Amino acid sequence: MIASSPDEREELNGLLIHAGRGDQQAFTALYQRTSSKLFGVCLRMLRQRGEAEETLQETFITVWRRAASFDPGKASAITWLVTLRRNKAIDRLRQHREEHLDPLQLEASVDEAPTPAADAETSQEHQRLQRCLDALEPQQRRAVREAFFTGATYNQLATRDKVPLGTMKSWIRRSLLQLRTCLER
Amino acid sequence: MNTPADHHDDDLRYAEYVLGVLDAYARAAVEQEIQDSAQAAAAVAQWQRRLMPFADEVVASTPAPYVWARIQDALQLAAPAPSRPRPRLWDNLRLWRWLGLGASVVAAASVAILLVQPRQLATPAASQAGYLVAAIEQDNGITGWTATMDLPHARMIVVPATPVAFAPGRTPELWLIPAGGKPISLGVIARDKPTSIALRADLLARLDATALLAVSVEPDGGSPTGQPTGPVVAKGTVGGA
Repeated sequence: MIASSPDEREELNGLLIHAGRGDQQAFTALYQRTSSKLFGVCLRMLRQRGEAEETLQETFITVWRRAASFDPGKASAITWLVTLRRNKAIDRLRQHREEHLDPLQLEASVDEAPTPAADAETSQEHQRLQRCLDALEPQQRRAVREAFFTGATYNQLATRDKVPLGTMKSWIRRSLLQLRTCLER
Repeated sequence: MNTPADHHDDDLRYAEYVLGVLDAYARAAVEQEIQDSAQAAAAVAQWQRRLMPFADEVVASTPAPYVWARIQDALQLAAPAPSRPRPRLWDNLRLWRWLGLGASVVAAASVAILLVQPRQLATPAASQAGYLVAAIEQDNGITGWTATMDLPHARMIVVPATPVAFAPGRTPELWLIPAGGKPISLGVIARDKPTSIALRADLLARLDATALLAVSVEPDGGSPTGQPTGPVVAKGTVGGA
């Protein structure tokens, strides 16, 4: 896990801040510390090594160029990085696959709930999110997870689950509202 | 089943954006709101904090070493030990200012370069096919951009090869410098994708083998003065394809 402790979080914030000042060593260290994790997420979303590599590359090029705009008061470095990486991956999915989604490929992407062992290693934030997810209806929980990990649109999710678009929107929106309430407790 | 908020609740839309279910069009709309509204940006950031812990579940996977090599190459980072490239005379803005001549020096330099270059200067402007190309080379000797000028269609495509890194808030601007003339802006160009430039008649008339293309470092949006204000980082002569 990256940055599951406050110390690690601070360290990554520091590296990103230094990278923003043009410190190449800090940038290199940031890559060494975070690239495996970010690449894992790219692979899971894009499902093709070449595309995942290109997305990781684009992400770090943007990290170097935009690092100066990082504000640790607004988000932690890891949230900033994961968000940037997700946005790159989703942009790529929208560019290439908006119109022609491959149902077989979608079928292959299964809902992988974390194993209890993995759960023990995740951050407190993740455990809290997981508890709130557990309160959702199973179908809805599955839809939310699938949405996050595949970057699929409402249309694609509805096609995959063979439910009307309105139903999928309803599941996800209800879930998001429930999560918001639950996470604010 | 009644759907919550088909009437659009903004916070829900921001949540949908962060979750990743919106189509490209709706995503672009939210991204614009993030730019324009601090409230929207804060709401999106809050959803990021709520949902990003999902990423903890993903199994890490080490990328191939060439990915880092490509990043270093694209950003012109020193490898392996970081050492800042020493600024060369050409890059030295203070020198230009000290000379007090600014852009006209660039123009004069371009003439000098052309005079010392052994290449044929007699090439007529429009080569047989109506195309001109220029490799816009940086001081590190690596081509930063390649410009291809399609004269019949009055267009220029500037493709980045391996441009050097630019500081945040700085952007490359392309200039056409006719022999003995002042630089004429061709606009800001991208470092990461091709830029297409429409060539006005007055520019077409000046595009010949004696003209120079140069890239200077300017504030985002381009030079505020209409003349280069930052150091020239790349240059190349216009030649026939």
